[in-house]
Amino acid sequence: MAARRLVARPVLLARLHTASRSQNTANVTGVDTYKYIPGGPILPGTVNDATTFPPPSKTHGSHHWAFERLLSAALIPLTASTFALSASPYPVLDGVLAVSLVIHSHIGFDSMLVDYVHPRKFPTIGPIATWGLRAATLSVLVGVYQFNTTDIGLTELIMRVWHA
Amino acid sequence: MSITDLAARSLIRSQAWRSVSSSAPSKYAQASKDQSSAPPAGKEPLMKTFKIYRWNPDEPSKKPYLQSYSVDLNQCGPMILDAIIKIKNEMDPTLTFRRSCREGICGSCAMNIDGQNTLACLCRIDRAGGKETKLYPLPHMYIVKDLVPDMTQFYKQYKSIEPWLQADPPADGKEHRQSIDDRAKLDGMYECILCACCSTSCPSYWWNQDRYLGPASLMAAYRWMADSRDKAGFARKEKMQNELSMYRCHTIFNCSRTCPKGLNPGKAIAQMKYEMATES
Repeated sequence: MAARRLVARPVLLARLHTASRSQNTANVTGVDTYKYIPGGPILPGTVNDATTFPPPSKTHGSHHWAFERLLSAALIPLTASTFALSASPYPVLDGVLAVSLVIHSHIGFDSMLVDYVHPRKFPTIGPIATWGLRAATLSVLVGVYQFNTTDIGLTELIMRVWHA
Repeated sequence: MSITDLAARSLIRSQAWRSVSSSAPSKYAQASKDQSSAPPAGKEPLMKTFKIYRWNPDEPSKKPYLQSYSVDLNQCGPMILDAIIKIKNEMDPTLTFRRSCREGICGSCAMNIDGQNTLACLCRIDRAGGKETKLYPLPHMYIVKDLVPDMTQFYKQYKSIEPWLQADPPADGKEHRQSIDDRAKLDGMYECILCACCSTSCPSYWWNQDRYLGPASLMAAYRWMADSRDKAGFARKEKMQNELSMYRCHTIFNCSRTCPKGLNPGKAIAQMKYEMATES
């Protein structure tokens, strides 16, 4: 794997080192010659510049993390109680479970997209994937609402499938 | 110490080594040859094959390949580093790798040995018969030559977390004082030698190296957050409040598993996440 990744870039790498060593020329970082590709061999700035941080946002940081963990932990008793209470008389509980599951999945899929198709590396596919996931989550939520209000509801469905 | 200093130092290091191995006075070369040609009494040669990743920047279009070397383990030290030094001395002076202290404190000889990132100087040669050992450079790094990866990004990231004490001098003009308990909180973190074994074993670091700091830099960051003398904890944590710098850690624990110093970067990152979630 390492081999495959490294094969294509040696010339660029050699040029990068040449460029960053020639301190007296105007083109110190190779910025003029080589476009910076995120994750690629050309590093932004000189070798002595520290990497930078994105603007701080708790929504994407600690709040996101805490919400994700609390939701995951809450799903355990929620699932157990829904099935223990045999959901039909408790449509609200059934609805809460369904929505929690959908949001839990959304966070999981979104994490994959951030890992593998982040917009900084995939300027076209990245946003398409992100908005596609949002659209999918929204339509699933609408579907779940329809199903839970006009049909038997999620827990009842799983129970019937289980016993079928 | 600046990153150029580090780079220059490693360059000097490797050049010094090259000069020793290629143009050593002939009497030394002769001495080592005499030594190696005389097998220890009563010991049969125990040959072992090492397959080593080779790539030469002077021939950039030639694909990287594995080159095999056969070494008699009964005429070789016990560690992988002994074997590759022996190969460089006696078989192939073009083989390139970093090494300095040979005792696991400099972190130069970090490489991927039989699929595990570790220090060649701390990794024993497997003497089981018939088994070959594969040596690769640290995974998912750009390669300077053979087993030498380009560490520029790694050092840039370490610099970004500002790994130094940030506090006003104490009013009494004396040193910063710290209780024994507070000092104990740094155990298991300050020992990191920045060999990059952990970061380069982390899949998140493989995919998002340009933005995700990786376990080594993150543990260094937490080492300063956990320091009772440091007063910049809020600013340090604020930097991590985004989806990429730290939260790309998915608790895979490759870092803790591979650390040749037996440290636990995964735990440090978990504590950082916990503090950030509960403090504010």
